[in-house]
Amino acid sequence: MTEAAPINAVMRALADPTRRAVFERVVSSDEITVVELTRGSGVTQGAISQHLKALKQAGLVAERPEGRKVYYRAQPEGLEPLVDWMSHYGVFWRERFANLRTLLKEIDP
Amino acid sequence: MNDAALKPDTQDIVVDEVFPHTPETIWKTLTTANLMGRWLMMPAGFEPVEGRHFTYQTTPAGAWDGTIHCQVLEVKPNERFAYAWKGGHEGNVGYGSRLDTVVTFILSKVENGTRLRLVHSGFVLPKNDTAFRNMSEGWKKVVQNIGAIVDGKD
Repeated sequence: MTEAAPINAVMRALADPTRRAVFERVVSSDEITVVELTRGSGVTQGAISQHLKALKQAGLVAERPEGRKVYYRAQPEGLEPLVDWMSHYGVFWRERFANLRTLLKEIDP
Repeated sequence: MNDAALKPDTQDIVVDEVFPHTPETIWKTLTTANLMGRWLMMPAGFEPVEGRHFTYQTTPAGAWDGTIHCQVLEVKPNERFAYAWKGGHEGNVGYGSRLDTVVTFILSKVENGTRLRLVHSGFVLPKNDTAFRNMSEGWKKVVQNIGAIVDGKD
């Protein structure tokens, strides 16, 4: 189930510093609107909306429309590919593959 | 909480890379104890024979002595190699927690070498609310690390 794709989507979504800042603000509030996110951010509301759209596509935030407002909240499940990647065995196998590459160079130059 | 929420969900770790070597050479590094010891860990009692039991010694944690108990499940020379990977203890969280997993290596010939795909499957994910709450507290740290990870990846 964990292919390269979901982790790439999560990484791409969070690699942008502004988008990461938006995500951090969503994480630190229960629910938050675009207007509240825009306030004091130094970025236009349109830009914030685009960032939220990207975060939503990566599965990192969910939205809940209520009346004329849309509330955004963080989705813990969205970070699973990343947590997994950084977990002990994710790191373990990547390190081992690097060792294997070195060993192969030695025995089969 | 319904039944679906109580049923553990599992996740796989996948590492997939191309090496500029033949499948035969890579197969040797995956299935020869001395070579395994040079890139992975030195196995005890290993033979590339289906049904064979062997172990790896790793760092102990809590009530777990650090032994990983393996059993060869599938040997298809130069193509596919799988073994069970079990260890850990119920009392541990994170490193050293209970593991009942399978490691599978899949080799396929590509233009400039061999694609080696590792699938380490069967990691149980916490699916209940408490676990998610605990995990969400680690978010901030995770998010702070993303920039570094992305840089390191390319």
